[in-house]
Amino acid sequence: MDLSDTQLIERTLGGEPDAFNMLVRRWERQIYGLTLRMLGRDEEARDATQETFLSAYRNLSKFRGEAKFSSWIYRIALNICNTRLRGRARNIISLDEQREASGFELAADTEDLGNHIQQEQVTRAVRRALQGLPAEMRQVIVMKEYEGLKFSEIADILGLPVSTVKTRMYTGLSELRKRLEHLREAM
Amino acid sequence: MGKPGGLDYRPESKWERVQEVSGDKMNEANKTPACDKHEALIAYLYKEATPDEARRFETHLHDCAACRQELAGFERVREQLQQWQVVDLPIVRVVADPQTARRSFLAVLKELFTVMPIWVKAASVAAMALIILALTGTSVSLGRDGFSFSARMIGSQSTVDPSAPVASPQARFVNDEQLAQLRANLATLVSQKIAESEQQQKEALKAELVSLQSELHNMRSADLAKIVARVQEHQSRLQTIERDLDRREGSDLTDILFSEMMTRPHRQTSNTPGGGD
Repeated sequence: MDLSDTQLIERTLGGEPDAFNMLVRRWERQIYGLTLRMLGRDEEARDATQETFLSAYRNLSKFRGEAKFSSWIYRIALNICNTRLRGRARNIISLDEQREASGFELAADTEDLGNHIQQEQVTRAVRRALQGLPAEMRQVIVMKEYEGLKFSEIADILGLPVSTVKTRMYTGLSELRKRLEHLREAM
Repeated sequence: MGKPGGLDYRPESKWERVQEVSGDKMNEANKTPACDKHEALIAYLYKEATPDEARRFETHLHDCAACRQELAGFERVREQLQQWQVVDLPIVRVVADPQTARRSFLAVLKELFTVMPIWVKAASVAAMALIILALTGTSVSLGRDGFSFSARMIGSQSTVDPSAPVASPQARFVNDEQLAQLRANLATLVSQKIAESEQQQKEALKAELVSLQSELHNMRSADLAKIVARVQEHQSRLQTIERDLDRREGSDLTDILFSEMMTRPHRQTSNTPGGGD
Protein backbone atom coordinates (compact mmCIF):
# COMPACT_ATOMS: atom_id res chain seq x y z
CA MET A 1 0.00 0.00 0.00
CA ASP A 2 1.44 3.33 -1.05
CA LEU A 3 1.65 5.90 1.67
CA SER A 4 0.41 9.40 0.96
CA ASP A 5 2.76 12.35 0.83
CA THR A 6 1.45 13.54 4.19
CA GLN A 7 2.07 10.16 5.80
CA LEU A 8 5.61 10.07 4.43
CA ILE A 9 6.25 13.54 5.79
CA GLU A 10 4.97 12.50 9.19
CA ARG A 11 7.23 9.46 9.19
CA THR A 12 10.20 11.55 8.14
CA LEU A 13 9.58 13.97 10.95
CA GLY A 14 9.18 10.98 13.25
CA GLY A 15 12.75 9.93 12.52
CA GLU A 16 12.49 7.71 9.45
CA PRO A 17 14.83 9.17 6.81
CA ASP A 18 13.84 6.44 4.33
CA ALA A 19 10.38 7.93 4.21
CA PHE A 20 11.80 11.10 2.74
CA ASN A 21 13.74 9.07 0.21
CA MET A 22 10.41 7.66 -0.91
CA LEU A 23 9.12 11.19 -1.34
CA VAL A 24 12.19 12.03 -3.40
CA ARG A 25 11.70 9.02 -5.64
CA ARG A 26 8.07 9.95 -6.07
CA TRP A 27 8.70 13.54 -7.09
CA GLU A 28 12.20 13.70 -8.53
CA ARG A 29 11.08 13.21 -12.12
CA GLN A 30 8.58 16.04 -11.96
CA ILE A 31 10.96 18.38 -10.19
CA TYR A 32 13.80 17.60 -12.55
CA GLY A 33 11.49 18.15 -15.51
CA LEU A 34 10.46 21.49 -14.11
CA THR A 35 13.99 22.67 -13.36
CA LEU A 36 15.32 21.43 -16.67
CA ARG A 37 12.69 23.30 -18.64
CA MET A 38 13.04 26.37 -16.53
CA LEU A 39 16.82 26.48 -16.63
CA GLY A 40 17.46 24.77 -19.96
CA ARG A 41 20.75 23.24 -18.83
CA ASP A 42 21.07 19.66 -17.68
CA GLU A 43 23.77 20.11 -15.10
CA GLU A 44 22.16 23.15 -13.59
CA ALA A 45 18.82 21.36 -13.50
CA ARG A 46 20.38 18.46 -11.62
CA ASP A 47 21.88 20.83 -9.09
CA ALA A 48 18.60 22.68 -8.72
CA THR A 49 16.74 19.40 -8.20
CA GLN A 50 19.17 18.37 -5.51
CA GLU A 51 18.91 21.77 -3.92
CA THR A 52 15.13 21.60 -4.00
CA PHE A 53 14.91 18.34 -2.11
CA LEU A 54 17.61 19.39 0.31
CA SER A 55 15.73 22.59 1.05
CA ALA A 56 12.50 20.65 1.42
CA TYR A 57 14.13 18.25 3.86
CA ARG A 58 15.56 21.03 5.95
CA ASN A 59 12.28 22.91 6.05
CA LEU A 60 9.99 19.93 6.34
CA SER A 61 8.92 20.89 9.83
CA LYS A 62 7.58 24.17 8.39
CA PHE A 63 5.36 22.39 5.91
CA ARG A 64 1.73 22.83 6.74
CA GLY A 65 -0.66 20.12 5.75
CA GLU A 66 -3.13 22.69 4.50
CA ALA A 67 -1.40 22.81 1.12
CA LYS A 68 -0.44 19.86 -1.04
CA PHE A 69 3.14 18.69 -0.80
CA SER A 70 3.41 18.91 -4.58
CA SER A 71 2.47 22.59 -4.55
CA TRP A 72 4.92 23.24 -1.77
CA ILE A 73 7.85 21.50 -3.44
CA TYR A 74 7.04 23.03 -6.82
CA ARG A 75 7.17 26.43 -5.16
CA ILE A 76 10.56 25.63 -3.66
CA ALA A 77 11.85 24.46 -7.02
CA LEU A 78 10.56 27.55 -8.80
CA ASN A 79 12.13 29.83 -6.22
CA ILE A 80 15.45 28.08 -6.68
CA CYS A 81 15.13 28.35 -10.46
CA ASN A 82 14.21 32.02 -10.27
CA THR A 83 17.19 32.72 -8.02
CA ARG A 84 19.46 31.05 -10.52
CA LEU A 85 17.83 32.83 -13.44
CA ARG A 86 18.23 36.20 -11.79
CA GLY A 87 21.93 35.48 -11.76
CA ARG A 88 21.94 35.34 -15.51
CA ALA A 89 21.53 38.27 -17.78
CA ARG A 90 18.08 38.21 -19.27
CA ASN A 91 18.59 37.33 -22.86
CA ILE A 92 15.59 37.09 -25.15
CA ILE A 93 16.96 35.65 -28.33
CA SER A 94 15.82 37.02 -31.63
CA LEU A 95 14.58 34.72 -34.34
CA ASP A 96 17.65 35.35 -36.47
CA GLU A 97 19.91 34.51 -33.54
CA GLN A 98 17.91 31.35 -32.95
CA ARG A 99 18.34 30.31 -36.55
CA GLU A 100 22.06 30.90 -36.38
CA ALA A 101 22.55 29.21 -33.05
CA SER A 102 20.28 26.25 -33.66
CA GLY A 103 21.92 25.40 -36.94
CA PHE A 104 18.85 25.68 -39.14
CA GLU A 105 19.90 26.38 -42.69
CA LEU A 106 16.55 27.21 -44.13
CA ALA A 107 17.89 28.58 -47.38
CA ALA A 108 20.15 25.64 -48.11
CA ASP A 109 17.78 22.91 -49.20
CA THR A 110 14.32 24.06 -48.31
CA GLU A 111 12.58 21.37 -50.32
CA ASP A 112 13.91 18.47 -48.29
CA LEU A 113 14.24 20.24 -45.02
CA GLY A 114 10.90 18.98 -43.72
CA ASN A 115 12.10 15.42 -44.05
CA HIS A 116 15.50 16.02 -42.54
CA ILE A 117 14.69 17.88 -39.38
CA GLN A 118 15.27 15.39 -36.67
CA GLN A 119 13.72 15.06 -33.29
CA GLU A 120 16.85 16.44 -31.73
CA GLN A 121 16.63 19.62 -33.72
CA VAL A 122 13.00 20.11 -32.81
CA THR A 123 13.81 19.59 -29.17
CA ARG A 124 16.67 22.05 -29.38
CA ALA A 125 14.50 24.64 -31.05
CA VAL A 126 11.78 24.23 -28.44
CA ARG A 127 14.32 24.46 -25.67
CA ARG A 128 15.77 27.63 -27.05
CA ALA A 129 12.37 29.13 -27.69
CA LEU A 130 11.32 28.43 -24.12
CA GLN A 131 14.54 29.86 -22.76
CA GLY A 132 13.87 33.04 -24.69
CA LEU A 133 10.63 33.63 -22.79
CA PRO A 134 10.48 35.69 -19.63
CA ALA A 135 10.55 33.44 -16.57
CA GLU A 136 7.04 34.33 -15.43
CA MET A 137 5.59 33.06 -18.71
CA ARG A 138 7.92 30.10 -18.94
CA GLN A 139 7.05 28.74 -15.52
CA VAL A 140 3.34 28.81 -16.30
CA ILE A 141 3.84 27.02 -19.61
CA VAL A 142 6.16 24.44 -18.07
CA MET A 143 3.80 23.66 -15.21
CA LYS A 144 0.84 23.42 -17.53
CA GLU A 145 2.36 21.63 -20.49
CA TYR A 146 4.85 19.33 -18.82
CA GLU A 147 3.58 18.92 -15.29
CA GLY A 148 -0.07 18.81 -16.27
CA LEU A 149 -1.20 21.03 -13.42
CA LYS A 150 -4.55 22.74 -13.47
CA PHE A 151 -4.66 26.52 -13.75
CA SER A 152 -6.00 26.71 -10.21
CA GLU A 153 -3.02 24.68 -8.94
CA ILE A 154 -0.56 26.88 -10.81
CA ALA A 155 -2.28 29.91 -9.38
CA ASP A 156 -1.97 28.41 -5.92
CA ILE A 157 1.72 27.68 -6.34
CA LEU A 158 2.50 31.13 -7.71
CA GLY A 159 0.12 32.96 -5.44
CA LEU A 160 -1.63 34.59 -8.39
CA PRO A 161 -5.23 34.84 -9.56
CA VAL A 162 -6.27 32.19 -12.07
CA SER A 163 -7.05 34.88 -14.64
CA THR A 164 -3.46 36.15 -14.43
CA VAL A 165 -2.15 32.64 -14.95
CA LYS A 166 -4.31 32.22 -18.04
CA THR A 167 -3.22 35.57 -19.41
CA ARG A 168 0.42 34.63 -18.94
CA MET A 169 -0.28 31.33 -20.63
CA TYR A 170 -1.86 33.09 -23.57
CA THR A 171 0.97 35.58 -23.91
CA GLY A 172 3.58 32.88 -23.55
CA LEU A 173 2.00 30.65 -26.17
CA SER A 174 1.68 33.60 -28.56
CA GLU A 175 5.36 34.35 -28.10
CA LEU A 176 6.32 30.74 -28.58
CA ARG A 177 4.20 30.56 -31.69
CA LYS A 178 6.19 33.40 -33.20
CA ARG A 179 9.49 31.90 -32.11
CA LEU A 180 8.72 28.47 -33.47
CA GLU A 181 7.32 29.83 -36.70
CA HIS A 182 10.44 28.99 -38.67
CA LEU A 183 10.36 25.44 -37.40
CA ARG A 184 6.79 25.01 -38.48
CA GLU A 185 7.62 26.44 -41.86
CA ALA A 186 10.45 23.98 -42.16
CA MET A 187 8.16 21.04 -41.34
CA MET B 1 -2.05 16.40 -23.52
CA GLY B 2 -5.49 17.84 -23.58
CA LYS B 3 -7.20 18.59 -26.84
CA PRO B 4 -10.19 20.83 -27.12
CA GLY B 5 -13.39 18.95 -27.49
CA GLY B 6 -15.98 19.72 -30.08
CA LEU B 7 -14.52 21.66 -32.95
CA ASP B 8 -11.19 20.49 -34.19
CA TYR B 9 -9.39 22.85 -36.51
CA ARG B 10 -6.10 21.00 -36.63
CA PRO B 11 -4.80 20.36 -40.14
CA GLU B 12 -4.59 16.72 -41.15
CA SER B 13 -0.91 16.65 -42.05
CA LYS B 14 2.31 18.62 -41.78
CA TRP B 15 2.00 19.73 -45.37
CA GLU B 16 -1.44 21.12 -44.80
CA ARG B 17 -0.02 23.03 -41.87
CA VAL B 18 2.69 24.46 -44.06
CA GLN B 19 0.08 25.57 -46.55
CA GLU B 20 -1.83 27.16 -43.72
CA VAL B 21 1.09 29.37 -42.67
CA SER B 22 0.29 32.08 -45.13
CA GLY B 23 -3.31 31.95 -43.97
CA ASP B 24 -2.23 32.39 -40.35
CA LYS B 25 -0.30 35.50 -41.14
CA MET B 26 -3.12 36.93 -43.17
CA ASN B 27 -5.72 36.28 -40.51
CA GLU B 28 -3.57 37.70 -37.75
CA ALA B 29 -3.54 40.93 -39.69
CA ASN B 30 -7.34 40.80 -40.00
CA LYS B 31 -7.87 39.98 -36.32
CA THR B 32 -10.16 42.47 -34.70
CA PRO B 33 -8.78 44.11 -31.57
CA ALA B 34 -12.23 43.73 -30.00
CA CYS B 35 -11.73 39.96 -29.66
CA ASP B 36 -10.50 39.52 -26.12
CA LYS B 37 -11.44 35.94 -25.52
CA HIS B 38 -7.93 35.04 -24.41
CA GLU B 39 -8.86 33.39 -21.15
CA ALA B 40 -11.74 31.50 -22.72
CA LEU B 41 -9.48 30.34 -25.52
CA ILE B 42 -6.87 29.10 -23.08
CA ALA B 43 -9.45 27.33 -20.91
CA TYR B 44 -10.94 25.73 -24.03
CA LEU B 45 -7.50 24.72 -25.36
CA TYR B 46 -6.63 22.91 -22.13
CA LYS B 47 -10.11 21.46 -21.57
CA GLU B 48 -10.62 23.39 -18.39
CA ALA B 49 -13.69 25.23 -19.56
CA THR B 50 -17.02 24.21 -18.09
CA PRO B 51 -19.45 22.66 -20.59
CA ASP B 52 -21.34 25.94 -20.75
CA GLU B 53 -18.16 27.97 -21.33
CA ALA B 54 -17.00 25.50 -23.98
CA ARG B 55 -20.32 25.73 -25.82
CA ARG B 56 -20.24 29.51 -25.82
CA PHE B 57 -16.66 29.60 -27.04
CA GLU B 58 -17.42 27.15 -29.86
CA THR B 59 -20.20 29.46 -30.93
CA HIS B 60 -17.70 32.31 -30.92
CA LEU B 61 -15.25 30.28 -32.96
CA HIS B 62 -17.76 29.91 -35.78
CA ASP B 63 -17.82 33.66 -36.11
CA CYS B 64 -14.18 34.57 -35.33
CA ALA B 65 -11.58 33.44 -37.86
CA ALA B 66 -8.80 35.01 -35.78
CA CYS B 67 -9.60 32.86 -32.76
CA ARG B 68 -9.85 29.79 -34.99
CA GLN B 69 -6.41 30.41 -36.39
CA GLU B 70 -5.01 31.20 -32.98
CA LEU B 71 -6.43 27.99 -31.53
CA ALA B 72 -4.95 25.95 -34.35
CA GLY B 73 -1.61 27.76 -33.93
CA PHE B 74 -1.54 27.08 -30.20
CA GLU B 75 -2.27 23.42 -30.74
CA ARG B 76 0.71 23.19 -33.06
CA VAL B 77 2.88 24.91 -30.46
CA ARG B 78 1.74 22.37 -27.91
CA GLU B 79 2.69 19.54 -30.23
CA GLN B 80 6.12 21.03 -30.63
CA LEU B 81 6.50 21.53 -26.90
CA GLN B 82 5.70 17.87 -26.30
CA GLN B 83 8.65 16.90 -28.48
CA TRP B 84 10.91 17.87 -25.60
CA GLN B 85 10.71 15.01 -23.18
CA VAL B 86 13.02 14.23 -20.28
CA VAL B 87 14.97 11.07 -20.97
CA ASP B 88 17.67 10.91 -18.32
CA LEU B 89 16.61 11.20 -14.77
CA PRO B 90 19.21 12.29 -12.24
CA ILE B 91 19.78 10.25 -9.12
CA VAL B 92 18.80 12.38 -6.18
CA ARG B 93 19.73 11.21 -2.73
CA VAL B 94 19.25 13.75 -0.02
CA VAL B 95 19.13 11.85 3.25
CA ALA B 96 22.31 10.18 4.44
CA ASP B 97 21.95 6.93 6.29
CA PRO B 98 22.77 7.65 9.95
CA GLN B 99 24.23 4.15 10.42
CA THR B 100 26.64 4.75 7.60
CA ALA B 101 27.57 8.13 8.99
CA ARG B 102 28.26 6.66 12.41
CA ARG B 103 30.34 3.85 10.99
CA SER B 104 32.36 6.18 8.86
CA PHE B 105 33.08 8.43 11.85
CA LEU B 106 34.32 5.47 13.85
CA ALA B 107 36.33 4.30 10.90
CA VAL B 108 37.94 7.71 10.64
CA LEU B 109 38.78 7.69 14.35
CA LYS B 110 40.22 4.22 14.08
CA GLU B 111 42.32 5.17 11.10
CA LEU B 112 43.50 8.31 12.85
CA PHE B 113 44.53 6.33 15.91
CA THR B 114 46.35 3.83 13.72
CA VAL B 115 48.47 6.39 11.93
CA MET B 116 49.27 8.64 14.87
CA PRO B 117 52.79 8.38 16.38
CA ILE B 118 53.30 6.46 19.57
CA TRP B 119 53.91 9.56 21.66
CA VAL B 120 50.55 11.00 20.57
CA LYS B 121 48.91 7.73 21.51
CA ALA B 122 50.60 7.90 24.89
CA ALA B 123 49.50 11.50 25.34
CA SER B 124 45.95 10.58 24.38
CA VAL B 125 45.90 7.76 26.87
CA ALA B 126 47.33 10.08 29.54
CA ALA B 127 44.72 12.71 28.75
CA MET B 128 41.94 10.14 28.94
CA ALA B 129 43.30 8.94 32.25
CA LEU B 130 43.39 12.49 33.56
CA ILE B 131 39.83 13.10 32.45
CA ILE B 132 38.72 9.94 34.20
CA LEU B 133 40.63 10.97 37.29
CA ALA B 134 39.05 14.39 37.19
CA LEU B 135 35.60 12.89 36.78
CA THR B 136 36.12 10.60 39.72
CA GLY B 137 37.15 13.51 41.91
CA THR B 138 40.83 12.71 42.00
CA SER B 139 43.07 15.62 42.77
CA VAL B 140 46.71 15.83 41.84
CA SER B 141 49.08 18.21 43.51
CA LEU B 142 52.76 18.88 43.32
CA GLY B 143 54.39 19.51 46.65
CA ARG B 144 57.79 19.39 48.21
CA ASP B 145 57.58 15.61 48.32
CA GLY B 146 56.66 15.31 44.69
CA PHE B 147 53.26 14.44 43.28
CA SER B 148 50.48 13.53 45.60
CA PHE B 149 47.20 11.99 44.56
CA SER B 150 43.94 11.91 46.41
CA ALA B 151 40.72 10.45 45.03
CA ARG B 152 37.14 10.37 46.07
CA MET B 153 34.19 8.85 44.32
CA ILE B 154 31.55 11.05 42.74
CA GLY B 155 28.95 9.83 45.13
CA SER B 156 31.01 10.59 48.20
CA GLN B 157 31.50 14.24 47.53
CA SER B 158 28.83 15.35 49.95
CA THR B 159 31.26 15.73 52.79
CA VAL B 160 30.56 19.42 53.00
CA ASP B 161 28.55 20.41 56.00
CA PRO B 162 25.20 21.70 54.71
CA SER B 163 25.07 24.09 57.58
CA ALA B 164 28.43 25.58 56.71
CA PRO B 165 28.29 29.16 55.52
CA VAL B 166 28.54 29.99 51.87
CA ALA B 167 32.15 30.32 50.78
CA SER B 168 33.42 33.84 50.98
CA PRO B 169 35.01 35.60 47.99
CA GLN B 170 38.34 35.01 49.65
CA ALA B 171 37.67 31.30 49.77
CA ARG B 172 36.61 31.43 46.16
CA PHE B 173 39.91 33.12 45.33
CA VAL B 174 41.76 30.37 47.08
CA ASN B 175 39.82 27.79 45.10
CA ASP B 176 40.75 29.53 41.88
CA GLU B 177 44.37 29.46 42.90
CA GLN B 178 44.11 25.79 43.63
CA LEU B 179 42.45 25.28 40.31
CA ALA B 180 45.24 27.13 38.56
CA GLN B 181 47.74 25.05 40.50
CA LEU B 182 45.93 21.88 39.49
CA ARG B 183 45.93 22.96 35.88
CA ALA B 184 49.62 23.67 36.03
CA ASN B 185 50.20 20.30 37.66
CA LEU B 186 48.17 18.60 35.00
CA ALA B 187 50.11 20.36 32.27
CA THR B 188 53.35 19.34 33.93
CA LEU B 189 52.15 15.79 34.28
CA VAL B 190 51.13 15.62 30.63
CA SER B 191 54.50 17.06 29.59
CA GLN B 192 56.23 14.60 31.84
CA LYS B 193 54.26 11.71 30.39
CA ILE B 194 55.10 12.80 26.91
CA ALA B 195 58.77 13.15 27.85
CA GLU B 196 58.70 9.72 29.48
CA SER B 197 57.09 8.25 26.42
CA GLU B 198 59.69 9.81 24.16
CA GLN B 199 62.47 8.65 26.47
CA GLN B 200 61.07 5.13 26.50
CA GLN B 201 60.85 5.20 22.76
CA LYS B 202 64.45 6.36 22.48
CA GLU B 203 65.62 3.70 24.92
CA ALA B 204 63.76 1.04 23.08
CA LEU B 205 65.32 2.15 19.84
CA LYS B 206 68.76 2.24 21.44
CA ALA B 207 68.32 -1.24 22.89
CA GLU B 208 67.20 -2.52 19.54
CA LEU B 209 70.23 -0.91 17.91
CA VAL B 210 72.59 -2.47 20.45
CA SER B 211 70.97 -5.81 19.94
CA LEU B 212 71.39 -5.51 16.21
CA GLN B 213 75.02 -4.49 16.60
CA SER B 214 75.69 -7.44 18.89
CA GLU B 215 74.01 -9.79 16.50
CA LEU B 216 76.05 -8.40 13.63
CA HIS B 217 79.24 -8.72 15.66
CA ASN B 218 78.48 -12.33 16.52
CA MET B 219 77.71 -13.11 12.94
CA ARG B 220 80.93 -11.47 11.85
CA SER B 221 82.97 -13.37 14.46
CA ALA B 222 81.43 -16.65 13.43
CA ASP B 223 82.19 -15.97 9.81
CA LEU B 224 85.75 -15.01 10.64
CA ALA B 225 86.20 -18.17 12.67
CA LYS B 226 84.96 -20.22 9.79
CA ILE B 227 87.30 -18.46 7.43
CA VAL B 228 90.27 -18.98 9.78
CA ALA B 229 89.39 -22.64 10.14
CA ARG B 230 89.23 -23.04 6.41
CA VAL B 231 92.49 -21.21 5.93
CA GLN B 232 94.13 -23.43 8.51
CA GLU B 233 92.70 -26.47 6.85
CA HIS B 234 94.01 -25.37 3.50
CA GLN B 235 97.40 -24.62 5.01
CA SER B 236 97.49 -28.09 6.55
CA ARG B 237 96.62 -29.63 3.24
CA LEU B 238 99.32 -27.62 1.53
CA GLN B 239 101.88 -28.77 4.07
CA THR B 240 100.83 -32.36 3.53
CA ILE B 241 101.15 -31.95 -0.20
CA GLU B 242 104.56 -30.33 0.19
CA ARG B 243 105.71 -33.18 2.40
CA ASP B 244 104.51 -35.70 -0.11
CA LEU B 245 106.28 -33.85 -2.83
CA ASP B 246 109.47 -33.70 -0.80
CA ARG B 247 109.22 -37.40 -0.09
CA ARG B 248 108.73 -38.17 -3.70
CA GLU B 249 111.59 -35.93 -4.70
CA GLY B 250 113.77 -37.52 -2.00
CA SER B 251 113.12 -41.10 -3.19
CA ASP B 252 113.93 -40.21 -6.73
CA LEU B 253 117.22 -38.75 -5.69
CA THR B 254 117.96 -41.87 -3.68
CA ASP B 255 117.15 -43.97 -6.64
CA ILE B 256 119.47 -41.89 -8.75
CA LEU B 257 122.21 -42.06 -6.20
CA PHE B 258 121.67 -45.80 -5.74
CA SER B 259 121.83 -46.41 -9.43
CA GLU B 260 124.97 -44.33 -9.64
CA MET B 261 126.50 -46.29 -6.82
CA MET B 262 125.61 -49.50 -8.55
CA THR B 263 127.26 -48.46 -11.76
CA ARG B 264 130.37 -46.84 -10.24
CA PRO B 265 132.08 -50.11 -8.77
CA HIS B 266 131.54 -51.86 -12.06
CA ARG B 267 133.46 -49.18 -13.82
CA GLN B 268 136.15 -49.24 -11.13
CA THR B 269 136.71 -53.02 -11.40
CA SER B 270 136.87 -52.99 -15.14
CA ASN B 271 139.49 -50.31 -15.15
CA THR B 272 141.76 -51.87 -12.48
CA PRO B 273 144.91 -53.72 -14.01
CA GLY B 274 145.21 -57.35 -13.05
CA GLY B 275 141.58 -57.41 -12.01
CA GLY B 276 138.88 -59.40 -13.80
CA ASP B 277 137.22 -62.78 -13.58
